[in-house]
Amino acid sequence: MESIQHFFMTSPFDADSVRHALWLIIALPALGALINGVFGRWLGRANSNLIATAAVGGSFVLALLTFWHINDWNQVFTTPFDTRPIRYAVGMDHGTWFSAGDFIVHFGLRVDHLSGTLLLVITGVGTLIHLYSTEYMSHDAGYWRYFAYLNLFVAMMLTLVMADNLLLLFVGWEGVGLCSYLLIGFWYSDPAKAWAGRKAFITNRVGDFAFLIATFLTCLVMWSFVKQANVDNFGNVTAQQAFATGLREKGPVDFSGLEALARALPVDPGHAPTGTPAVTLQTEIAQGPLSGITYGTVLTAILLLFLLGAAGKSAQLPLYVWLPDAMAGPTPVSALIHAATMVTAGVYLFCRMSFLLVLSPTAMAFVAVVGALTALFAAVIAFAQDDIKKVLAYSTVSQLGFMFMAVGVGAFWAAILHLVTHAFFKACLFLGAGSVMHGNADETDIKKLGGVKRKMKVTYVTFTIATAAITGAIPLSGFFSKDAILHAVHGTTLAGHEAITHLVWILGLLAAAGTAFYMTRVWFLTFQGDRAADARIPEEKVHESGWAMTVPLVLLAALSVLAIGYGIPLMSAGEHGREPVMENFLRPIFATAESITSAQATVAVSHEGSLAFSWILAFVIAWVATGAAIFAYTRFFPSRAGQPAPAFAKRFQTWTRDKFYVDELYDLVIIKPIRGLASLLFRVVDAVVIDTLAVRGTAWVTARVGSVLRYFQTGDTQSYAAVMALALLGGVAWALVQVLK
Amino acid sequence: MVPITHYLVLAAVLFMIGMFGVMVRRNALVVFMCVELMLNAANLTFLAFARQRGDDLGHVNAFFVIAVAAAEAAIGLAVVIAIFRSRGSVQIQDIRTMKH
Amino acid sequence: MSVPDVLFYIFAVCLVGAAGMVVASRNPINAAMSLVAAFFFLAGIYVLLWAHTIAVLQVLVYAGAVMVLFLFVIMLLSLSERGPRSPITVGRILGGAAALGLGVVICIVVLKLDGSAATLTGAQAMRFGTIARMGELIYGTYLFPFEAVSLLLLAAIVGAVVVAKSRI
Repeated sequence: MESIQHFFMTSPFDADSVRHALWLIIALPALGALINGVFGRWLGRANSNLIATAAVGGSFVLALLTFWHINDWNQVFTTPFDTRPIRYAVGMDHGTWFSAGDFIVHFGLRVDHLSGTLLLVITGVGTLIHLYSTEYMSHDAGYWRYFAYLNLFVAMMLTLVMADNLLLLFVGWEGVGLCSYLLIGFWYSDPAKAWAGRKAFITNRVGDFAFLIATFLTCLVMWSFVKQANVDNFGNVTAQQAFATGLREKGPVDFSGLEALARALPVDPGHAPTGTPAVTLQTEIAQGPLSGITYGTVLTAILLLFLLGAAGKSAQLPLYVWLPDAMAGPTPVSALIHAATMVTAGVYLFCRMSFLLVLSPTAMAFVAVVGALTALFAAVIAFAQDDIKKVLAYSTVSQLGFMFMAVGVGAFWAAILHLVTHAFFKACLFLGAGSVMHGNADETDIKKLGGVKRKMKVTYVTFTIATAAITGAIPLSGFFSKDAILHAVHGTTLAGHEAITHLVWILGLLAAAGTAFYMTRVWFLTFQGDRAADARIPEEKVHESGWAMTVPLVLLAALSVLAIGYGIPLMSAGEHGREPVMENFLRPIFATAESITSAQATVAVSHEGSLAFSWILAFVIAWVATGAAIFAYTRFFPSRAGQPAPAFAKRFQTWTRDKFYVDELYDLVIIKPIRGLASLLFRVVDAVVIDTLAVRGTAWVTARVGSVLRYFQTGDTQSYAAVMALALLGGVAWALVQVLK
Repeated sequence: MVPITHYLVLAAVLFMIGMFGVMVRRNALVVFMCVELMLNAANLTFLAFARQRGDDLGHVNAFFVIAVAAAEAAIGLAVVIAIFRSRGSVQIQDIRTMKH
Repeated sequence: MSVPDVLFYIFAVCLVGAAGMVVASRNPINAAMSLVAAFFFLAGIYVLLWAHTIAVLQVLVYAGAVMVLFLFVIMLLSLSERGPRSPITVGRILGGAAALGLGVVICIVVLKLDGSAATLTGAQAMRFGTIARMGELIYGTYLFPFEAVSLLLLAAIVGAVVVAKSRI
């Protein structure tokens, strides 16, 4: 045991070679995208498939090796901001990307336990989904375009995760948004699908704008702080100098710099022995555009803007509307981008900047409430959706809500744990749905399926495992990760917002019950019972998918089970008994956030609540909801039982099926007024001012002037030269007269 | 020692003659020769000022002017040949396409 | 008056005369030959200004290459006979007058300048305008413009071939 542990916790590589090879993890899929995008048309299907899958597979291997490397305590990441090295990490700074005055951005990559975990998920799940896609897209003519986009997506997502500063992260952030747009509208000849792509892109723009503003504010805070802070902020002169050096060398958007800022900001105001008191969250910013506003207020504003940005990318209230429509893309895309990786970018962003988030309990409360409301809201909408992919989409929104809840109460490790397990089981569910569609002539309406289990054994078993994982009816990975979140919410109190966590906890429990209900419904209607009467193809023609689709399903289902290992409290945690593996594993990342919370007392974590109680509660809830779903659909579902559903259920169903009319509300409140304004502008400004006055007026004047000037147009070169010479003479003579005067 | 101003006056006169030729002569080839005269007047000015200031950067400038003048002569004469091919004349007054 | 001064005035008068011939002669061949003469006199004046290198280049490039090119084109196009007498237009009169006026104005400006030359001492005087000094400048500080000019010449060669050739 000891020797195995030693084997895995000792890096077999030289630190320098790993550092210099980090960029390859991104470059491989990018190269794949380039080859497929430029030459894909001529490569042939098999070559195109091979290149795309091998590129991501190679990236996965590199990620694994890097992960092994950073498991070593001796591997350190040094940054000018901090005199102490960061353990369990590796980083490579490729120099200045661009600089404008003080605003310096480096092209730096960094892999630590947080980004390393995500690297494995992205490349691992990504490889499986590429493999799956080779069969799923086997009848599509645009396969090379598809693989180019998919590879580009992986490259961008890896950039997002490996970036060591906000701006490079934003490059990946925008890049995945672009790929998402391209892949949602992949079948662009269908206007509805093209529109779904645009909707996703435009909704994301709202969030991206907030992200950018937040980044700018962050820079302003960094620059103000370095001028205002004194030695007491940093503890000693060396640390203060290190901070100034770091800011000068690495620029204001580096994550290490933000971490140093977070560490230095919250000092006790009474602590200052002499001279000016140290800067605290209550100190006002002295100069610049933000002067007069306290650091705490600006920080809260920054975090709320980041929340809006994250809400756009991670489909949280109020910007979740694009994700259900994003199901217009190919199903593997939904699995990779809109379930496993891209939509978790918001969660990753907050985990990466956990140290900033814990400085503001208000922002934390906002994040938690947004997450909880989204979780419940999306779960309720999912009750009545008939499209299997739509249900899974709302389910994703709901599960992301759970992750935001965890982030909001400072249980970052639980958010990441749920992110990982969710990536496994939701990818498995989506791929299972894709397999069902593939075998049932692209039927997505669960009411027109039914009894699929008899013909599609592998899909059925894997889908069942994944369903069990997400509902928590059987304690698989999803049970532990979701329960870790609910347990953390239950045991945490945010300073100044004591009631919030109780509310969030209740909402979370309800959402968990909802999850169990709608997932059981989907599973039940699709796989159990008899074949629906109005099915697209008869049961005999239903066929199981080929190996390229079933192998990823099996592997993902296996991972959904194996991920239990992360959620079980195995590691010793001193006086508190034992803690889950993931919490222990991610401790180095969230150490700063933890020390801030314990020093500031903004977030009080009680270890009173018994984990066993949470488990039993979660188990009961899952089974009650699952039972309710099975009861409701064996008893009331029209085509199965022949009995009409009760009236209240009908009305509820109408409301939820129409998604609470949120899209219509947005249409009325935002889109209609903009359309009206646009048509007003068109009629008044465009038609009258621009067309009539500006355009035609200019033309009229030009024509009149031209008809006069035509007489001077002799075409004789020397006449033109004479005019030039005369003008020159006049100019020089005038200058001479001026000088002589 | 001749004052530098005399060199400059000579350059001005040379420039004037060249410009006069450009304005008055009708043969495109001669016009080109007059342009060369003007360029040489400019060179003379550069060299005169270089001598006045004791700074031979003006020589470098003159060097580049000569290079550009050579390029200009090559292209200009090629254009003259092309025009002669299409119109059978090198008289400027025959070339009035700028009117269109 | 020292020998160089005398030489300057001789060269200056001859230069103006030759330049006048360029403009005045009606036969293009005569104009070209006058231009060669003008370039030689100009080279002499360059020498008086201590610009030895440029004087040599003047003879090589202008009197040699460029003028041969001119004569070649004149022969090619058979322009040796006198051109037709062309009508006098308002444009020509105005242009000629403007040229003369500009010359006068420039002369007025120039005569106001300080006419003394810089006194160069020993080593400085030895190096002023020599090929060694020019080489240092062109291949050192001004290497980039020098390369750019060589590219320009290349482009001009290619362009001239493309423009002048009827079929490529």
